Amino acid sequence: MSYENKLSSPYYIDMDARVRKVQEAMKARGLSAYIGSRPRTLSWLLDAFCPWRSYIVVPASGDPTVFTFIVDSTRLADETWLPRDNVRAYAPMGGQDQVSVLQSFIEDELGLSRGRIGLETGISVYTPEGNLTKYEWDALAAALPGFELVNAHELVDALQLIKEPGVVERFRKASLIVDEGQKAARAALEGGGWKGMTETVIAGIGALAMRKAGSLSEWNFAGLNEISSGYRTALGACTPPTNREFQAGDPLMLDFHSLYGLCMGDYSHNYLIGPTTPVLRRHADNFVDLVDTVLKAYRSGRTPSDMAALMMERAEALGCADFCYPGCEHGIGMWGDEWRIGATLDGPFPYWTDPDHVYQEGEMLICAMQYAAPDDKVGFRYENVIRINRNDCEWMSKTPLAIEEIA
Amino acid sequence: MGDAFRYLDAAWTVEARTRLGAALDPEKMNGITTSMADIYEACPDGKSRWLFVQCEGGKLARFDVGEGEAPEAEFRIIGNYDVFAAISKGELGSQKALMTGKLKLKGNMAKALRLAPLADRINKVLSTIPAQY
Repeated sequence: MSYENKLSSPYYIDMDARVRKVQEAMKARGLSAYIGSRPRTLSWLLDAFCPWRSYIVVPASGDPTVFTFIVDSTRLADETWLPRDNVRAYAPMGGQDQVSVLQSFIEDELGLSRGRIGLETGISVYTPEGNLTKYEWDALAAALPGFELVNAHELVDALQLIKEPGVVERFRKASLIVDEGQKAARAALEGGGWKGMTETVIAGIGALAMRKAGSLSEWNFAGLNEISSGYRTALGACTPPTNREFQAGDPLMLDFHSLYGLCMGDYSHNYLIGPTTPVLRRHADNFVDLVDTVLKAYRSGRTPSDMAALMMERAEALGCADFCYPGCEHGIGMWGDEWRIGATLDGPFPYWTDPDHVYQEGEMLICAMQYAAPDDKVGFRYENVIRINRNDCEWMSKTPLAIEEIA
Repeated sequence: MGDAFRYLDAAWTVEARTRLGAALDPEKMNGITTSMADIYEACPDGKSRWLFVQCEGGKLARFDVGEGEAPEAEFRIIGNYDVFAAISKGELGSQKALMTGKLKLKGNMAKALRLAPLADRINKVLSTIPAQY
């Protein structure tokens, strides 16, 4: 078993405490069992990378049991804290398909014949969110006729909101790893190194440096490291890299991702490949000013909507409001936990960030800002992992905020 | 067929126990300790039966056939008599029967997969017993 989680480690997470908290929340909601299917729940309860469709069953008491695709079950058992017998597999065999193993476990091993079971469903902008499909829900309902199935992911989401010290340390480490990727990219681009180089190649250079520094993967679903150059920087955010070759005068957006202890580094840095123009320089200066304004404003008590208002007010003053997206952040947590800020569904649009969510000390998010001036063929993106403090925020990647010209 | 045993009856069970005890090499059985109950549904007389195999340290520790509640086992395999009979005759592989849903396995699949070749070795021995089905 390769799993390590020593109390003396700065990255330690009390996994038993997490399970107990879920069980307390289950009790409060009258749930006899909870089946998590989203990667954010699996990461958080397994403390292991679990990329295949999996179901973690949390009983009212005792350790959870996870069911994953047979091809990956032995590896998962090696990497999680759960006892080996609590890592099970499903396979295309009689009695061993996904629904049969869950039914058998709940009825035969947990000894339940009726009650409420919490499941995870919803809607997301993120394809691999892991919400239970209609087919899965219906099949479970048919296989477990004595049970009431209820959507209950909010109980896990609420527990994930404030990050434990070990999680914060993992984010710090992941963020410093991203800095190594950015350093390697810069070194490769400078001195004319950018000539003949493509977006995919610089993505790989950054990836190699981050992996050498301890990253498990670039974690991101949208092409791993997200890169755009030239006119493509104005097309939007989170752009999968292409084979486009860099050109003199291009803006360049390097959005690198690392993964350490299932916590995600995410730092987006921008360059202007020389020779640049006064128009591009002005856009770049505007964007740096906006990011600086926003970063200095994050603190507990703020809300996403007032952060956006603050940013837009500054953009208006700078004369660049037409180029700004009115939002400054997305959520972050252990692998699979991305996008949505907060844990409740009482905002104006369910499953989107509640604009009136009030930040608390200990929350983490990605400060994520986007600027696009398509007519000038330029755009920028800033992303950095931040922790909300009482009176300010800690930004975790230390790459200096700047948009420099490289020759 | 004069010398044949009746499948699953007491004499067949004794013969199976003897042959398995002699044929199963603890080393080839990977020194395994496990137990398995096959639940035979829809037997020719309309009843259900179980066949229980227990290995300790790779040696056969218990082999029994019975009716009613099967002994507690690490794995339970459930299916129709005809399917188990076809496996015992060597006409059908147990893995194929599982993959086509003719048999249902209850137990930890990740562990069961490693035991599949061992189950095949047991079935191979059982298929050598002349039997009437």
